Amino acid sequence: MADYLISKNGFNSYPMKRVYLGEFEEIVLLIVAVLEGAAYGVNIMHEILEQTGRSVRLNQVHASLQRLEEKGMIVSKMSDPTPERGGRRKRIFSITAYGSSTLRDIQQVRATLWSAVPSNLKSFTA
Amino acid sequence: MNHFQIPPSPPRWATRLLHWYCAPELLEEVQGDMLEEFYFQCRHNGVAAARRDYVRNVLGFMRPFAIKRKSSPSYPILPMNMIGHYFTVALRQVLRHKAFSAINVAGLAIGMTCCMAIFLWVADEKAVDNFHAKGDQLYNVYMTVRSASGVETVYNTPRRYYDSAVHILYEDAKEAIPEVEGTAYYATGYSMPWGKAETFQVGDKIYKLEGSRASNDFLTMFSYPVIAGDPKTALQDMKGLAISRKMANLFFGSPEEAIGKSMRYENKRDFQVTAVFEDLTPQSSRKFEFLANWDAHMKGGMEWSSNNMEATVLLAAGANPEDVAAKINKLVQPRLDKNQPYSVEIGLQPYRDQYLKSNFVNGKQSGGRIEYVRIFSGVAIFILVIACINFMNLATARSVKRAKEVGVRKVIGSPRLYLIGQFFGESLLLSFFALALSLLLLQVLLPVFNDVTGKNLVAPITSLPTWTTLIVLALITGILAGSYPALFLSSLKPVRVLKGAVQFTQNAIWFRKGLAVFQFGLSILLLIATIVVSQQTSYMQNMNLGYNRENLLYFTIEGELSKYDKFQAFKQSALQLPGVRVIDRSSEAPHAMKFLVDDNDGSAETAEEDESAIKWEGREKGQMVGFKPTSVGFDFVKLMDLHVVEGRNFSRDFATDSADAFLVNEQAVKEMGMKDPIGKWVSAWKKKGHIIGVLKDYNTNSLHERIRPLIVDVKEYEYFGVILVRTEAGKTKEVLTGLEKVYKELNPNYPFTFRFVEEDYNDMYRNEQVMSKLSNAFAVLAIIVSCLGLLGLVMFSAEQRTREIGIRKALGATVSSIVGLLSQDFVKIVLVSFVLATPIAAYLMHQWLNGFAFKINLSWWIFGFAGVAALLVALLTISFQAIQSARANPVESLRSE
Repeated sequence: MADYLISKNGFNSYPMKRVYLGEFEEIVLLIVAVLEGAAYGVNIMHEILEQTGRSVRLNQVHASLQRLEEKGMIVSKMSDPTPERGGRRKRIFSITAYGSSTLRDIQQVRATLWSAVPSNLKSFTA
Repeated sequence: MNHFQIPPSPPRWATRLLHWYCAPELLEEVQGDMLEEFYFQCRHNGVAAARRDYVRNVLGFMRPFAIKRKSSPSYPILPMNMIGHYFTVALRQVLRHKAFSAINVAGLAIGMTCCMAIFLWVADEKAVDNFHAKGDQLYNVYMTVRSASGVETVYNTPRRYYDSAVHILYEDAKEAIPEVEGTAYYATGYSMPWGKAETFQVGDKIYKLEGSRASNDFLTMFSYPVIAGDPKTALQDMKGLAISRKMANLFFGSPEEAIGKSMRYENKRDFQVTAVFEDLTPQSSRKFEFLANWDAHMKGGMEWSSNNMEATVLLAAGANPEDVAAKINKLVQPRLDKNQPYSVEIGLQPYRDQYLKSNFVNGKQSGGRIEYVRIFSGVAIFILVIACINFMNLATARSVKRAKEVGVRKVIGSPRLYLIGQFFGESLLLSFFALALSLLLLQVLLPVFNDVTGKNLVAPITSLPTWTTLIVLALITGILAGSYPALFLSSLKPVRVLKGAVQFTQNAIWFRKGLAVFQFGLSILLLIATIVVSQQTSYMQNMNLGYNRENLLYFTIEGELSKYDKFQAFKQSALQLPGVRVIDRSSEAPHAMKFLVDDNDGSAETAEEDESAIKWEGREKGQMVGFKPTSVGFDFVKLMDLHVVEGRNFSRDFATDSADAFLVNEQAVKEMGMKDPIGKWVSAWKKKGHIIGVLKDYNTNSLHERIRPLIVDVKEYEYFGVILVRTEAGKTKEVLTGLEKVYKELNPNYPFTFRFVEEDYNDMYRNEQVMSKLSNAFAVLAIIVSCLGLLGLVMFSAEQRTREIGIRKALGATVSSIVGLLSQDFVKIVLVSFVLATPIAAYLMHQWLNGFAFKINLSWWIFGFAGVAALLVALLTISFQAIQSARANPVESLRSE
């Protein structure tokens, strides 16, 4: 993972150069965190539908997972063969320390911003 | 019922589509997810909807992220950590299969040695006459004479007699043509078969040396280094003489001492040394120890029986030789005799080409020695190719064993590239080993090779280009030889290899058989060539020439012996010597008569029109026949063992014979068109007489030349020629001692130098003998190397069929039937290559034999013999392995599973 934190010039690039997550990527990452080491393509898709009510396609999930893995937010390993998939293995995803710290950062930024939002707006939403 | 329903499945075409486009490393998870989703959909929305959804998913995944293949990991070209291991494996392979490795390396080394020796020879041939600084501007003049008897091209100059002197027809070319910056004439003296030695004397030192005459520009145009004297003026004066360092040391002790000193030539005239040049290197095709002034040759009465006057012109830089040749022609044409029955045309050829490209056909340059150079270059490459093919075949034969190694390596994770590298590495290792061996071989064999070719080749092992060439040679050989095993073995599929037998595709089998056919075809070709060349050589050496050449020695008439009474005295005392049977004289060396008169060669030196030297009764005006004339003593016919077919021999009993009698040969009678020749008159120059007898045709020169018309008369007082002595067999030594004593008494100013006719005769065929010896050697080598390859193939085939042989034997096959089984394929290979090689060989040999006037017939047995020999040698080789395999205990071979 260290590779992702060190820029080419050798400095720790984390505080300066944040990796931004797309909205959908953030959701997928959160779902992977929620599923706690049991996340794979199909159940991530179902979980998204359940939690957010939004219907997504399998290919979108896969593409997003691949990008997240490239960014170092998640890691994957192959599971044991499973009978319900015709003996095929699943690719199981789990969140990395970098992934969770990124989520925390996003959370913090949102919280800070939210606290700065005028109270009338807050109450309106509430 | 529901329990027995077939479980729902997604559309197969969509799955197939997915398999096709999806990256293999992603396929499992993607398809797994899709399938899981499909079953999920089936449960919730029904099969039809699930199938639709599945198709949408498949199409949805057609995105770059799913299609793009992971780039294969890049391997370093040389796995450094594996090199040591590969080396060890290679060494173990070499040591485990000692016989195989020895065959391999020996074959390659033989091929490389041949190649190196031949290319040294080729380089040496190409260097001849190629060292002159102005080489780009030097052009040799040749003239093409077209007459009724055909077209002939020679390095000679057209001349004509006028103003009481012989003139070269373009002697003013230097003044008349601006592009011509210099002209050098060159001519040898009277040339005997052994050379053109002439006698020089300073004080009491007398030596015979070979030299020539040259015009003044000669030393400045050519780059023969002059170490003393001025090259610009050395040959200007009639008395001028340039001599070699060797000659200067011989006579005067040092080159500097020699300058300005006087030398007596043939006891007739004096020359003054004006320059000393460095001894000639073998790179000069012209050989001379001295150069005398040109005018001394043309006007000064030096001997010039040689009709050849070679001319070289120095052209201005950038001048077009064709234009200059046209200008010279324009100069020459009006000066030619209008009434001559032939036309003359001048051409120019780069001087450096004249050694290798001296043959002309119909006035156009066509081959020459360059053909030998080409043939041997081809042979060198052939043998190397044969050796490389061997290497390939042997490596393939071994591949059955090594295939398992390849399988294991692949399973462990070696990429194909490493395997290719490994096999190339091994073949390069062997080829460099072979190179080292061949360098050793070359050192050992070069003296022998030099002896055969008459060269003085040295392996230039100190020069950088040589090493570069050698390393490139080894690299090419290694890569060529290793290519097939490297590419083939590395392509084997580990699963199949480890399961059992290696299966070769039909293509691979054809390829290997093709290689073997090619190899054997070349060998048979060389074999046929060898048989033809050696047959022709021995035919010429043993041919009945029409005279007896054994126990016959001769020496030049010179000095005191030129006088009639001294010759007679010599003859009388020599005849008293024990062992001398007959002694007589001839104006020409009878076995190598070069002088030819009235042959329309374009260099008429006679003053009058229609003035031919030889005339005869019934001759039509202008009719010319090229005669070989000679004047002999009374005992000549007896001396030479010639046969008189009609009329009689010369005889002292007829008083008129020394003034009136002529002998001619059958060919002369034919060409003159005489019927009943005895008693008809003939004349030679001013001497008129009658034909008293006809000699049976005999060869007066080498067998390259047809038998020419011959005319013989008696002239015992002639001041030149040779004295011939027929000795009794086995008494040569006594005769020589006696003769030398008599000679010294009568002719003290000349050294006694003699030659044997037999030796001369053999010398005339030196080229053919060299060819014969070399092609013998190369054919044997090619056959050996090819058989090594065949052995490899048989080993391979036997190894492949071990189990088949075992089963056959277990079922009762005999050894001989199994040998037959293994042999038949290879017999077919030899037969096919024989069928392919024979017509090519026949064509090439026919071309080669065309260069001889007397030649053997290309009879069928030559080809039959070559074919049978190749077949027998091949069978012998095959049976070596086949019998071994056939006798193996089937228990052993069948147990191997």
